[in-house]
Formats: sequence, structure tokens, C-alpha cells
Amino acid sequence: MLKEMFKLFKKQQKKQSSSVKKLGGEQSDLKEKEFSRHLQENLSILKKLYSVPDNKDIKLRELYLEGFKKQAALLFISTITDVKSVEENILKPLTENTSSTKHVRDVVSVQMVHEISYFKDAVKDINKGNALLVLEGEAWAYVLDCPDFQSRAIEKPDNEILIKGPKEAFNEKAVANISLLRKKIRNENLIVEGIEVSQRSHNDVFVLYIRGLANEKLVTNIKKRLGSLEVNAIQNLSLLEEYIEERNYSIFPSILNTERPDRAASFLEDGYIILLMDNSPDSLVLPATFWSFFHSPEDHYLRIHYGNFTRALRMFALFITLFTSAIYIAITTYHAEMIPPDLLLAIASSREKVPFPAVIEILIMEAAFELIREAGLRVPSPIGPTIGIVGALILGQAAVEANIISPIVIIVVALGGLSSFAVSDLSLNFGVRLIRFLFILSASMIGIYGMTAFFVAGLFYMVSLKSFGVPYLAPLSPSYKSSKDTIFRRLVKNENIRPGFLKPSDSQKKSDGA
Amino acid sequence: MIQSKGKLGIKEFISIIALTIGTKLSDDTPSIIYENAKNAGWIATILIGVMSFIPVIILIKVFSAHKDKNLHEVIIYLFGKILGNLISIIILVLGASALIVDSGVYVDIIGTMYFTKTPPSIIYLILMAVCAYGAKRGIEQIGAVSWLLLPYLKITLLVAVIVSINEGTLGFIFPIWGEGKLEIVKASAKNLSIFSDFLFIGLIAPLVVSFKDFKKGTIISLIFVTLEISLAMVTFVMLFDYTTAEMLSYPFHETIRYIQIGFLTNVETLFFPFWLVATFIRFSFYLYLSAILLGGILKIKEFEYLIPLVTTIVILIGLSPDSPSIVLYTMRQYILLLLSPAFIFLPPLMWLIAKIRGDFKNETVQESS
Repeated sequence: MLKEMFKLFKKQQKKQSSSVKKLGGEQSDLKEKEFSRHLQENLSILKKLYSVPDNKDIKLRELYLEGFKKQAALLFISTITDVKSVEENILKPLTENTSSTKHVRDVVSVQMVHEISYFKDAVKDINKGNALLVLEGEAWAYVLDCPDFQSRAIEKPDNEILIKGPKEAFNEKAVANISLLRKKIRNENLIVEGIEVSQRSHNDVFVLYIRGLANEKLVTNIKKRLGSLEVNAIQNLSLLEEYIEERNYSIFPSILNTERPDRAASFLEDGYIILLMDNSPDSLVLPATFWSFFHSPEDHYLRIHYGNFTRALRMFALFITLFTSAIYIAITTYHAEMIPPDLLLAIASSREKVPFPAVIEILIMEAAFELIREAGLRVPSPIGPTIGIVGALILGQAAVEANIISPIVIIVVALGGLSSFAVSDLSLNFGVRLIRFLFILSASMIGIYGMTAFFVAGLFYMVSLKSFGVPYLAPLSPSYKSSKDTIFRRLVKNENIRPGFLKPSDSQKKSDGA
Repeated sequence: MIQSKGKLGIKEFISIIALTIGTKLSDDTPSIIYENAKNAGWIATILIGVMSFIPVIILIKVFSAHKDKNLHEVIIYLFGKILGNLISIIILVLGASALIVDSGVYVDIIGTMYFTKTPPSIIYLILMAVCAYGAKRGIEQIGAVSWLLLPYLKITLLVAVIVSINEGTLGFIFPIWGEGKLEIVKASAKNLSIFSDFLFIGLIAPLVVSFKDFKKGTIISLIFVTLEISLAMVTFVMLFDYTTAEMLSYPFHETIRYIQIGFLTNVETLFFPFWLVATFIRFSFYLYLSAILLGGILKIKEFEYLIPLVTTIVILIGLSPDSPSIVLYTMRQYILLLLSPAFIFLPPLMWLIAKIRGDFKNETVQESS
């Protein structure tokens, strides 16, 4: 109890201090000011805010506008604005204008023009790639819309590779990503809400959901959670994921990461919520269940039997990854009687020269495999194939010949390692690979009994997991009303209700048997 | 946040019962029944199932008047505070001793049949640790896990049964009536308590989503479990004949040692994990029930915190007997003998009192209004 009180006290203190504390070095007092009628005064504040002569890509252009008969200044950051648009749509019309009765918004030919009167708004907009126009004698400024951030084009997905189905992937530009989604869901109820999550770098997170499908409570809960973050900077979604997930230390992922807009769109249509962010070539889907990690969009793009065949293969691969090494250890050390005699003799003769117990043998090989995998991933691509050949062929061959590893262990470990690639989701893949080691340890201690005990305990843990209030293994267990898209899928025309665990506002997806 | 907390659906409810009571076919329950009913043990099992219908139906009837109360609360309500608590304590003691003896039996199975060199204390510790963890997670999780695994466990069981029937001799089940019809009835009456767990299931009655599901689930699972155990009893007799089946402490495990599938001659390690999973779920559920009852008697609302305590007591007492195979077998028979009357007489008694107090009238009035 004392401990808890202490914790509570500490928390309170923390909260107080964080709300009082201001961000140092942010010149907040300057930002709070309003624009004045004197141009030079405004300019000096802007110059101070942007450290103008030192900051090389901040362009400040002062000019005399013949038409308005006023001195004016244009400020923008040249690296993130469309300079051509500044020249042609802002500067040119302004200088060529001769009528003094026109307003600024009638002269310039950019998409949007706002009038603002606080410096903090000006700063925010300039940082987003807009240009700021200040006129002598006016106590406000104009924000002219012309951002142009550099990014790559829309490319093919690198990690979630399909044979059949759309080949577009998200890129680092949130606007482009939203456009990809809008292309798939042409409905005004697709809501894109922006929430600023960091105080210094002003990173925006876009919350996407379909109004009328997504559960309102869930949406407000997520928005609240995003709004309550007190962080200086969150670069991208991968970092954000750790801020908003519920069980940080859990071995199972609870938020799905996908780089495929088609997949994100199908989740949206089922009532899930998608998060997008600039600088992230992917999207977060929440809430996520075990099945969303297990599935691949291709299961639905392929015809039903082919799709279900790949699902069966994937499930099989998952179990092979988890259990082969552990079962090998358990059987050879504790349950030798269950192997047919011929095979037993074969294993025994191949292990005769190996000085290690089965566990050590397996662990050595597993470690080698993981090393090869990690090294192969980080190595510059021209050297990549060499590592694979050296690792797989020479190392294995040599280890067997040196009597460190028995050949059957290589088969067992390679089979497990290979199968792990069939679990395509990166997070689940890591989870499975780590759990495999725990199974190896429990098998080495008390054979099948230990493995089963660990398995049951793991299941108890898994069913008690929740991702944003949704049980991890739903809708299989505890069972919910749904289209039964779990281990196997049904005909697409029979998948006519949205998953019940999301409590969607409208659960009917299509009329029965449509 | 979204889900109603801690409620059991009908599927989960049935699978919990199917696993907890169905697993009895794999311990020494069959031998106890064979002892009296000889090769007609399977008929005796069906008869037990049929006879159990009476108390179970009456119990459901009693619960129909008290839909949001669990067994303990109903007992307190019907018998008053002092007598009610006394009855609950007796039930708790009986239930807890059944839990201790049963877990001892299962540890003995694992120790004698599979892990002969591992000290039983280690096996016991692991078993109870996992079960305590499961029980601590809550009834919803126990239900979810059992629903998740039920198909696989029952399919493997079916495979074992089919293979053994293939290898068995049909003639062994004759004479159909064993030693005589009267003997069967006697054997059934004596061992009625193998379904006494249904009394304890009253403890989670308010945790099932709706009363209708509770009623339906209980009856379906009673039928399912009766048929399942009876089928297993036929199989054992066909494989071993009754004299051997009666001698074997754990016929199920001898069966899976005896049979072979194709080129695999020793398949018991294939079936063992599935049986183990059922065992873990079974004792998680029993631990949970004991904790609920104890919590009810001691008026502790957050009874989950009692689970470690109950587990420790179970381990300490369970480890004490010196030759578990013999001591536990006799102990188990005594407990079954004691539980039988509790199972038969308590529900009618409860129903009678409820009737006298006029609880059922209230219900009809409520329903009509």
C-alpha cells in the first residue's frame, strides 16, 4: 500500500511539473504576440524567430507593391515550399497588380489564403511549407498555401509481397497515403482527423475512420490517448506505436502495421481505425487481433481453396517454427521410445560423435541461424548473397564435419527457420521466434510435460490479452458474431457481417447471400 | 472496455464442462465403475447420466428463481446464515478434498506413466503453478482456452477410441448386462457422484451470459459427457476385457500405450500433451471454483487473491501421502461415496425450501407482469 501511495504521489508530482514547465529555447513569449501595424516591427520579430541571416533556407523577400502603394515582405522556407509557385502565383501577380482597390486574396492565384493575427499561427504555417505575406499598415498577415515536401514516388510494397492483387504501397507522405485510401473508399464519411502529438517538432497524426461504422467510443478513446502525449518529437508511426500500445512488455504485438493501402482500406471498411503519419511508409491498424497478424490480403485475392491452402500452410509453418526444435530435444532426451527403432538408431549413430547434449547442439545452431539472418539483413546488398552462401553452406557443412553438430539438427533448425518466414508479419515473426526459445528451454527441462505446461500458460496469457478492449483471439475464442475469418476464410459473398468484437455501429456488410 | 466483463458464452460454458468432467474417463474413474459393474460399466455410466438428470434439473429449477445468485448465495438465502454457511463449508471441504485427491491422482499418472524419474513434487508444482495462473486469469479466460482447444482434444480422443476399437474384440462387451441388471443399478447409485461436479457448476451460474444459456449448456454438456465416458468405457472393455480393465488403475493411459498407429508403435507421447492440456484446464477451473466458494464463505469480494492460498494448500496436502497410487485410490472412493448423497439430496432439499418460501411464485408473477 505504501508503495502504491508513493507511486501515486510521484505521478502527481510529475504531472504538475510537466504542465508548468515550458519548452526551453522555443521563444514562446515572442510567439504569443500579435502582429502590429508596422512592418519593420513584425519583420524584426520574424527575423528573431527564424534567426534569419544564419538560417540559410529561410527566404525573406522585401518589396514595394505598386498597386497597394505599400511596403511588403514575403517569408518562406525555400526547401519545403514550391518555389515556382511562389514566383508565378504570388510574386508575379503582386508586382504586376495596378489596382489599389483589390484585396490580396483577389490578386494572388494560390489555392488557399488565410489571414492570421498571431505569430504562433504564422510560425506553424510557415513550418508547414506555406509562405507568409506581411503588408505595411496591416495588423495581420496572409498565409499563402504552397507547400512542397520532398518525398519518393509511390512504389511497390517491399515487405508485404503478393502475387495477385494491387501493387501500390504507402510512401512517406501522409497526403499521398490518404489519397491512396480515398481512391479506394469514395465516401464522404471517411473521416481524416489530424491530431498534433508532439510539442517541439509538431508531428501530426491522422486518424482515419468511417463515420457510422467505427465504434464511437473507440475513436474518442484513441483520440484522447493521442492527445494526451507530452513529447517533444515523435518521428513516425513505428515510434508512436510504443507510445499508444497497452502492454509494452508483452511479447505479442497489439497494433498492426501495414504498408498496403488495399489492406488498410479493407480494415477501414470493417470498422477499424487507421493511423497515418508523415515520414512513415506504413499505417497502423487498431485494434488488432492475432488473426490480423496471421492473415495476408492474398488469402482473399486468391480463389477460396487456394487462399485457404496458403492459410493452412501458414498455420503449419507457425507450429513448425514454434515446436520442431523443442520437440526434437524433448523426444531425444525424454521420450526416445516414441521414435521408430530404425530412426532412433540413425539419430543415435549420427549423434555418437557429437560431444554436446541435444539442447546445446540446438541452441548453437539456432544462434547461428539467427546471426546469419540478422547479418544478412544489415549487410550492404552487393555482399548479401555471399553471407548467405558462407552461412548456410560452409558453416553447416563444416560444423557437421567437425562433429560439433549432428546433421539431423541442421535439418530441424533449418526447417524451423525456413518456416518462420511464412509468418509474414514482422512483429508476429519476432514474437514467434522469441517464444521458440522459451519452448526449447522448457523442453530441455522436462520434455513434453514442460512444453505443454508452457503452452497452456501461454494460451491463458494470450486469451487474457486485449488490444484496445478487443480480446486477442477474438472472434474464435471467446466467440463473437463475425464472418468467421480466422484460421480459414469463407466465401467472400458469405462474409456478410463486420466483426462483432469491434461493436460496429452497422454490422451488416451485405445482404444475405448477395 | 467493450466487452461485458467476465461473462461466459454458452460455447465456452459447455467446453469447460466437457473438459473438466470429460477428462474423468482418463483417470481411475473407469476402474472404480468396472469394479462394481464389470463389463457393463458403460451401461452403468449411461445410467449414472440419466439418474444425474434429476438433481441437475432440480438444481436448474432452483436457479431459475435466483438468476443472479451463485450456489453459495442461494444456499445462504435458502438455509439462513448459519446453516447455509455450514452447508457451504461442507461442500467446500468435500470439493477441496476432491481437488486435492484428483490432482494427486493426475500427478501420479504423470509420474508413473510418463516421467518415472522426475520427482512427483516437481510435477505437482508445475501442474499447480500453471493451473493457479490460469485460475487467476479468470473464468472468461478459462472458458476461452477450453473453447479454443476443445475440438483438438476431442478429435485426438476420438482417434484413440477408433484405433482401439479397431484393435479390440467386440465379444468382450458380452454379456451385455454384466453380472446382472441389479448390479448395474447398484454400481450406478454408488458412483453417482462422478457427475457431482454439476453441483459445483452452480457456483458460476450467474457468470453465464443468460440463464437460458446456463440451462441449455448444462443439459447439453451432461448428455455429451455421459456419452463420451460411456464410449470410452466400451473401448477399454473391448481392448482389455473387464478383468484387466478393472485391474488397471488408469485404463486410458494403458490404452494409448497399447495401440499403434501405422508405423508408429509408441504413440502415447502423441496423445499425452492433449490429455495434459485438458488436465491443466480442469484444475484451473477447480481452483477457481474453490476460490469462489471460499471467497463467498469468508465474504471476500476479490476472491482471485485467494487462488495462491488455495493452490499452496492443495500442493502441501497433495504431496503428503506416501504411496499415492493406493492411498489416493481408496481416498477417492470415500470421497465419491460422500459426495453422492450431497449431490442427490441437496438440490431437492433446496427446491423444497424454495417451494415452501414461495420463490417460484414470485418468478411467475414477475414473468407475467
